[in-house]
Amino acid sequence: MHLRRNPCSQTEAQGHSGPSALGFGSGKPLPPPVPQNPVHMAVPIPHQLVDEGPPLRKPAAMNEPFYLVRELPMENELTGNTNLITHYNLEHAYNKFCGKKVKEKLSNFLPELPGMIDTPGHQDGSSLRSLIEKPPVCNNSFSPLTGTMLTGFRLHTGPLPEQYRLMHIQPPKKKSKHKHRHHRPQDPLPPETPSDSDHKKKKKKKDDDPDRKKKKKDKKKKKNRHSPDHPGMTSSQPSSSSLR
Amino acid sequence: MAEKFDNLEEHLEKFIENIRQLGIIVSDFQPSSQTGLNQKLNLMITGLQDVEKCRQQLNDIHVPLEAFEYIDQGRNPQLYTKECLERALAKNEQVKGKIDTMTKFKSLLISELGKVFPEEMAKYKAIHGDDPPS
Repeated sequence: MHLRRNPCSQTEAQGHSGPSALGFGSGKPLPPPVPQNPVHMAVPIPHQLVDEGPPLRKPAAMNEPFYLVRELPMENELTGNTNLITHYNLEHAYNKFCGKKVKEKLSNFLPELPGMIDTPGHQDGSSLRSLIEKPPVCNNSFSPLTGTMLTGFRLHTGPLPEQYRLMHIQPPKKKSKHKHRHHRPQDPLPPETPSDSDHKKKKKKKDDDPDRKKKKKDKKKKKNRHSPDHPGMTSSQPSSSSLR
Repeated sequence: MAEKFDNLEEHLEKFIENIRQLGIIVSDFQPSSQTGLNQKLNLMITGLQDVEKCRQQLNDIHVPLEAFEYIDQGRNPQLYTKECLERALAKNEQVKGKIDTMTKFKSLLISELGKVFPEEMAKYKAIHGDDPPS
């Protein structure tokens, strides 16, 4: 095994600059290879271990300290070795945004904003990018409209044409929400006594009944037609009659 | 810090509400609503002035342009934050992996060099210590 000297010393010997550029790690520029102070740092390398090297090697390069014996570059206090999310106290934000699913649409972020805001802004020229790229030509300050200026805002009476009624269009909400709302009126929020709740349950059953009734009636008819004395009939009849 | 945003948010909400009411007046305009319309128009200008005043307090806030792109596409800008955090964590883990690997490599290299060049490595250790910081 041959011990190779720092390749930068070779490059230097060939006339290139920046001996620290190829050092282990980066960041701190190493002191220039000054020949005044190499003695205590340089490691005497056994002659037999040293490469012959290029014949034009300069003596200054030979006196350079051994690669590993040089001063280590300054270490950064903060590296990728530490959890940067924790370091910057962003755990809360991380859990908030990455712990659960973030809804895709803009209307979920700004639910109170009127109008249809989920459509791409470039379609109706309302994009923020266009505002940045082509800022509106206007004064630096806002001044209230005077009486004469306001005359320009006299409108025709009557409703707006359909295509301009954008303010009233709201993005469609999820079905589950509708279902939830649908159930709410039936189940009022205030706490109920057990008897009340039982009553409600019965009501619910009654609401669901018409379909069942029809089905059972059909079944009954069929069974009566085919086997009027079927034993199963007796068990089904009471329930249907009780529902009536 | 939060007060600045609360103040801006409040003004923006008022402004949006005023615009919404303006929209309602305009959508089925009656001659009697002209005075109300004029008031709303001037209220809109006052609202813009209020938002403008908030600007001075928020000079040090920088919003990434990418977040605007999300808004322009009708997407939730929180998705941008989410993606940024995920990307940061992934990169953090990647760099940590590299650092760990390099640390292992360094210790292995030192031990192997110590076998082949004991004298030189003894000097190295004298300078940098037995277990140099990685």
